[in-house]
Amino acid sequence: MKIKKGFVLRDVCGEKVIVGESVETINFNHLISLNATAAWLWCKAEEQVDFTVDSLVEALCGTYDVERERATADVTRILSQWKEIGVIE
Amino acid sequence: MKAFYYQVAGHIFVLQTYGMEDVVCELKQYEPFVVEPTDDVLFRLTVTDEPMDLSGFQEEVKQDDDGQSIVAGTVAGKPCFEFWLGKRRSSVLMVDADGKEGVVSVENNRSFGINNALMVLYALCTADKRTALFHSSVVSYKGKAYMFLGKSGTGKSTHSSLWLKHIEGTELVNDDNPVVRVEDDGTVVVYGSPWSGKTPCYRNVSYPVGAIVRLSQAPYNKIVRLKGVKAYAAVVPSISGKRWDAHQAEGLHETENLLAQCAKVYHLECLPDEDAARVCLAAVVE
Repeated sequence: MKIKKGFVLRDVCGEKVIVGESVETINFNHLISLNATAAWLWCKAEEQVDFTVDSLVEALCGTYDVERERATADVTRILSQWKEIGVIE
Repeated sequence: MKAFYYQVAGHIFVLQTYGMEDVVCELKQYEPFVVEPTDDVLFRLTVTDEPMDLSGFQEEVKQDDDGQSIVAGTVAGKPCFEFWLGKRRSSVLMVDADGKEGVVSVENNRSFGINNALMVLYALCTADKRTALFHSSVVSYKGKAYMFLGKSGTGKSTHSSLWLKHIEGTELVNDDNPVVRVEDDGTVVVYGSPWSGKTPCYRNVSYPVGAIVRLSQAPYNKIVRLKGVKAYAAVVPSISGKRWDAHQAEGLHETENLLAQCAKVYHLECLPDEDAARVCLAAVVE
């Protein structure tokens, strides 16, 4: 999976928010607030460029003390939300 | 060659022309903004009636608003903007690589073409200067300004006119395109401009902003304060800019983020009646 071109993570009044800033996303007209875990995953996804559930679970478990099963459930849920909203493909 | 110097919200720009002085002299709304010639200018716009070579034009974004449209794109890598009024192209603006020099070729409805070219260049050149060209109707009351935002047709001007009619001491600052700056100390100030839509209100005045109020139509009058991300989301759609350009987006975001934190932002659901103005006044004026 990849982040669609033009979506970036911004700090808005102390919160992490995804905004669309490109020709492709100019009519997106939404702001998506992320919690701390989701924002961390977004940054990892940006770093990895081409990412999967597994690659992000790997990163999450490698950095934080979290059970693989729990991490897999969280990553799967967050990615499916992003896919539904249309910020990743 | 003749050059005219103007200052809007503290930023100076030059409008110059070879042989089209009469057109520039027709632009009466700029007169309150005239300043002495200086070298310290933000940008220069040259007005010409020579046609622009648009071969290789690549369209990026088209924005429509109430019969007026802007088509933005590039020609040989340089930013280029077409301004249309209905089905007639009014003018074409070409901007040089560093973004500080523009040429506008006017075709039809010349003042519309020049105004739009100036507004676009102004927005491009001030985006990284904590300055925002707003789409808003603004009134002043007891030394502060109240800005009304909303989609086209929501009733921004109508709401201003309700304040003017029912609330004594209210004056119109600008009816369409004021400029807002966030000062170093976090003070938010709104300035009148030569751009005011259909209402001829071209006042060279400034006021600290008392409140920014996003309007939407409803069968009742109700106002709530917005904070944080909601305040940010309320102001962003009313600020003009080339958001699809990374450098521009960075500057706009900085200004918008500051506005969301430094200005008092509200959402007013309203009818076009006296009570709407009273409900708004009671909430926003200290």
